[in-house]
Amino acid sequence: MRFVVCVKQVPDTTEIEVDEETGTIIREGVPSVLNAFDEFALNLAVELKNEVEEDVEIVALSMGPPQAKEALNKCLAIGADRAVLLTDMVFAGADTWATSVTLSRAIKNIGKTDIVFMGQEASDGNTAQVGPEVAAHMGIPQLTFVTEVESVNNSHVVAKKETDEGFVRIKCETPVMIACMPTPGFEPRIPNIREIMKAKKKEYQEWSHEDLGGDPSEYGLDGSESVVIKTYSPPPKGEGIIVDDEPEVAVKKLMDFFEDEGIL
Amino acid sequence: MPVWAIFKGGIMARTKLSDDRDLTEEQRLFKESLLEWAERNMPLDRVIKMNREGHPYPRELIKGLADLGVIMGTVPEERGGMGLTWKDQALIADIIGYIDPSIATAAGFMAVETGWGFTIDRHANDEIRKKYVQPAIRGDKFIGIATTEPGGGSDVANFKCTGEKDGDEWVLNGEKTFISGVEEAKQIGGGYWVNVRTGEKVPGAAHKNMTAFFVPIDSEGLTPTEPYDDAGRNSISTGGFIMEDVRVPEEYMLGEKDKGFYYTMEGFDNARILIGASAVGVTRRILEEAADYIKEREVFGSPLAKYEGIQFEFVERYTEMEASRLMVNKVADMQDTRYDEEGWAERSGKAKTYSPTEIAKWISMIKYKVPHLAKDTADDAMHWLGAAGYSSEYIFETAWRGVMSYCVGAEGGANIQKIVIGRETLGKDYVPYK
Repeated sequence: MRFVVCVKQVPDTTEIEVDEETGTIIREGVPSVLNAFDEFALNLAVELKNEVEEDVEIVALSMGPPQAKEALNKCLAIGADRAVLLTDMVFAGADTWATSVTLSRAIKNIGKTDIVFMGQEASDGNTAQVGPEVAAHMGIPQLTFVTEVESVNNSHVVAKKETDEGFVRIKCETPVMIACMPTPGFEPRIPNIREIMKAKKKEYQEWSHEDLGGDPSEYGLDGSESVVIKTYSPPPKGEGIIVDDEPEVAVKKLMDFFEDEGIL
Repeated sequence: MPVWAIFKGGIMARTKLSDDRDLTEEQRLFKESLLEWAERNMPLDRVIKMNREGHPYPRELIKGLADLGVIMGTVPEERGGMGLTWKDQALIADIIGYIDPSIATAAGFMAVETGWGFTIDRHANDEIRKKYVQPAIRGDKFIGIATTEPGGGSDVANFKCTGEKDGDEWVLNGEKTFISGVEEAKQIGGGYWVNVRTGEKVPGAAHKNMTAFFVPIDSEGLTPTEPYDDAGRNSISTGGFIMEDVRVPEEYMLGEKDKGFYYTMEGFDNARILIGASAVGVTRRILEEAADYIKEREVFGSPLAKYEGIQFEFVERYTEMEASRLMVNKVADMQDTRYDEEGWAERSGKAKTYSPTEIAKWISMIKYKVPHLAKDTADDAMHWLGAAGYSSEYIFETAWRGVMSYCVGAEGGANIQKIVIGRETLGKDYVPYK
């Protein structure tokens, strides 16, 4: 059985700044981290591997510049068996469409896969599109907002999925794409030094567009269907109004405010 | 709330004042793992509380440190360690000092268990390795070093404990004192490296006839003495024990008979590297915590950090901290070279790139300098913060009391380090062996 876990290296979300002139995210000097949603997905994959009786290979897959190897090293330390980095200038500037084309071809290259694990979204773009698009390109079902994978066998997976109303348990045929949504308080497992040293000896590969086949124009900026016109930080909100009075006075003040603003 | 805010976040491989660009990919991951573990298990307020409550060191934290793999990482893989380099281990000690600026964790599990434990492993037989060293690596036992005696510590060779052979056993007598971790060893099991005299004292060569043994803490005839009430680093105990006809088998001798003094110098070297490294981490943590305060706290209409009186002191300490970090890296690199070029430990005269005394000089420089830097930085920080800095609400006074231990004597006092450095720089004619 094989699980492929797609991961992304993202800037530390607590330190993102946007260059006002170019409208792009300033990445220089900003620490990069493994996208926390993907880390959760990897944790689910490793837990599932430990629970099933069959042999499972976990392949961590990422697309990005050479330094994204660092995120894959962490995946190998956490429990992935091997890692593949899709790195090529041809892949640069990809939107979610071109990214999902690239990833789905890479998964095909990896071989028969039972579950494609992904984070629900990436903390830098927050689109939540890549997972479902990968599923569409591969022609396989998709489960999104998954918080738990209960079991898997050669034909089906049972997972718990969060909805607006609560949770639902779904039995789904494999192969399947599962987009994982961490639960509050989730603490990813911390790789120890032994695991980090062991990760050094695991298989790591870098693939370019030539390894995936197809025309270079299908990848990266050329293969993208969307164009980012502008990226900017929203203007800071003004100071709020705090009504700190006895309830009767406070309610009156609030009602006056709503009327003055034309809300009521 | 953005969805990603459900993550605790904020733990990056790079902390505010550290430059990680010279680390390897694995070292960055070590750092990230240790900091993440510390955020969950040993935040600063817990460090302060642990220091206030005193020893024994919490059992679950010993297991946690062991599970992370920070204890005795330099022991070869085939003997239960991880085969880390001294540069790797020094980086780990730096982060341990950063996590716990009281230095209790660094003292107990870097200097003692790793510096000395690694050296025990080198000279022990497989039985001691299996029964004590490997369980200590797993956090199930505590092993350490007992050199100091009531008559003195700095004068290592002038010891009084004795060992006499009786059949297949050795009978040990005497008292050891100011030993780290006795209460922890009593609690979870373990033992100590103990030096005894196994022959007549040689006039002018008191270091001869010193033999090292591994002595289990629960040996019959071994009685632990009352732990000391130390000024700082209180979450790890300092104690001692009296040996009255303690019998240990011949196999518990470390290395060869009468060579204990040389092994002891090797152990000191290893422990002192990790002390220098952990003191760098302590200094960086003090500077980071102080920086947060002086940038916020306003006095006479301006943040403290805008006053050059404070700004310049901060910058001086920061510069010394980075210089110390580079020195520690150099020394750890020298130690890696030394262990790569086998033969040095037996004092065979075959050391290649660096002579043992040259390495000892560099090690003494960091052992002397960096703990003093950490202590002085804590002192400065308390001055910058005033009454707040003097209170245990902040880490500074806890750190100040802790690192003082490394200044006054633990693993070799400051003046002993100066003698070693002086002998190597001015020559034996001016600083002779005594």
